[in-house]
Amino acid sequence: MKPYYLLPVLFLLCTACKKDKQEQGNIQVTFKNVVNGVPLVLNTAPYTNANGETFTVTTFKYYISNISLIKMDNSELRVPDSYFLVDENTAASKTITFNAPVGEYRAVAFKIGVDSIRNVSGAQTGALDPVNGMFWSWNSGYIMAKMEGTSPASTAPGQTLTFHIGGFKGNFNAVQDVNLVSPISLTVGLERRPQLTITADLYTWFTGVNLVKFSENSAIHVPGELAWKISTNYRYMFRITDVTDL
Amino acid sequence: MTKYLIYAGCLFLLIWSCRRNGDVRPGTQPYTLELPSNFPAPVYDMSWNPLTVQGVALGRRLFYDPRLSRDSTISCGFCHQQFAAFAHFDHPLSHGIDNRTGLRSVPGLFNLIWQKDFMWDGGVNHLEVQPLTPITDPNEMGEDLARLISRLNADQKYRGLFRDAFGEGEINSQKLFKALAQFMATMNSFNSKYDSVMRHAPGVQFTAEEAGGYATFQAKCASCHKEPLFTDGSFRNNGLPYNPYLHDAGRMRITNSTGDYLKFKVPSLRNVIKSPPYMHDGRFYDLFDVFLHYSENIEQTPTIDPLVKNRIPLSNQEQRELYLFLNTLTDPGFINSKSLSEVLITD
Repeated sequence: MKPYYLLPVLFLLCTACKKDKQEQGNIQVTFKNVVNGVPLVLNTAPYTNANGETFTVTTFKYYISNISLIKMDNSELRVPDSYFLVDENTAASKTITFNAPVGEYRAVAFKIGVDSIRNVSGAQTGALDPVNGMFWSWNSGYIMAKMEGTSPASTAPGQTLTFHIGGFKGNFNAVQDVNLVSPISLTVGLERRPQLTITADLYTWFTGVNLVKFSENSAIHVPGELAWKISTNYRYMFRITDVTDL
Repeated sequence: MTKYLIYAGCLFLLIWSCRRNGDVRPGTQPYTLELPSNFPAPVYDMSWNPLTVQGVALGRRLFYDPRLSRDSTISCGFCHQQFAAFAHFDHPLSHGIDNRTGLRSVPGLFNLIWQKDFMWDGGVNHLEVQPLTPITDPNEMGEDLARLISRLNADQKYRGLFRDAFGEGEINSQKLFKALAQFMATMNSFNSKYDSVMRHAPGVQFTAEEAGGYATFQAKCASCHKEPLFTDGSFRNNGLPYNPYLHDAGRMRITNSTGDYLKFKVPSLRNVIKSPPYMHDGRFYDLFDVFLHYSENIEQTPTIDPLVKNRIPLSNQEQRELYLFLNTLTDPGFINSKSLSEVLITD
């Protein structure tokens, strides 16, 4: 018996596990943090929340992860291993670049925060390194987004504001999905890199679905209902405000 | 002949192309972990952190290095003493830098790869991130993680050891935690007299009193302290009177659920004779106090566990036999293991 016909089958099997080598370009996103439309400047001018309480901001950080690109036919293409920590205090962190296969896309989707799998997978590195101060050690899990500041309305010592939003389990999962349709389609080529500006408005954290009054709530540092409520507010904080597609 | 070679070649390519990148790094020797046949499969997935001789040795050095703490006084091994099955002998509450005292007792460290969560309240969900809590807790080692990582990177000896275990590149927290996890994965206790009896080792059997204690254990303790790990890993309120000085809500702190008020993890009973004091706050120095608690002093609260609610009466004879049975859970090979003992760090 000479089962030569098995040869092509084996060959197919061998190549089946080979990684696809589609031509890759990339996309650059710059995050611009604002408060009610006014550019955010840390530790300075006071802003006013929807409840009329003034406040300043000392820290503003959030995770952007699980980026997907939506093709013109609405199919979704995942950007593997995409985890970024945007930190207002670090200029370099506010511009992120990720690989994208050559093609045309109509929208960008991502999660605010870190998916549940990475919350339970042990020691991580890069943006997810706990050295970044975005990981709760006593109750394992990532802080998805963090805002700290001060407000005369706060009853906490030093009139501080501490909003550490996290939790990836059950009813109060604070990981939020965002889908942003681009005003023009994004064409990724070998020589062509779309550059997006996404504006994040901190004002949304405390208004929208759930009004947050600093006089009543000035600190969150555990997962739970309050953290989740703020996450349902801030899932609407992003807008694509500029696209350069050259 | 040629075509067989081609088939063999294709098969090799097939396996090669689908392989997982969990292999041991070149230049390291794989560490063979001996596991007992009568235990379930480990929870900790070592294919993501393959044990190597170099990695385990590095983890052991880190475990015993007091420089992991803010003022270089407290190592992991300071509280986790080998002779006490890596609990803190004679200390009801954990100790830390600056004479600080923690909220709970030091749990023994063994069979951690079978544990799905850690700490008395189960707040830590993975063996690798477990050390982050004691290292950064102000009541324990009180160090800032970023400072620790830069200190390790500035240390020539550690740079070499990390390179040997994990390859070139900066030391980061992931490498630190993986090294510690590798050492902790080797802290396993399964060679007590009890184990020998269960495996029908020639010439080993329980004495009449030990056998009587085992029967009592199976009837009155084994549903929570489930064999062979001697814990079912659950969280329960075992009726300890509330300690107003500690204000410890237990598992409720993690879940925010009032149903978890005063619940703590069921600890393993392996090596229990070696690791007093007992309970999450170390309130009992003697096992007979523990027996007395279960047989007479259960405090009724809304979250009391149904299995202890009506108390667990234990006669004097049952208590004595139970003690002698629990003594068979001591694993001298583990407690005296040369591969787990303290390393003196002079450089």
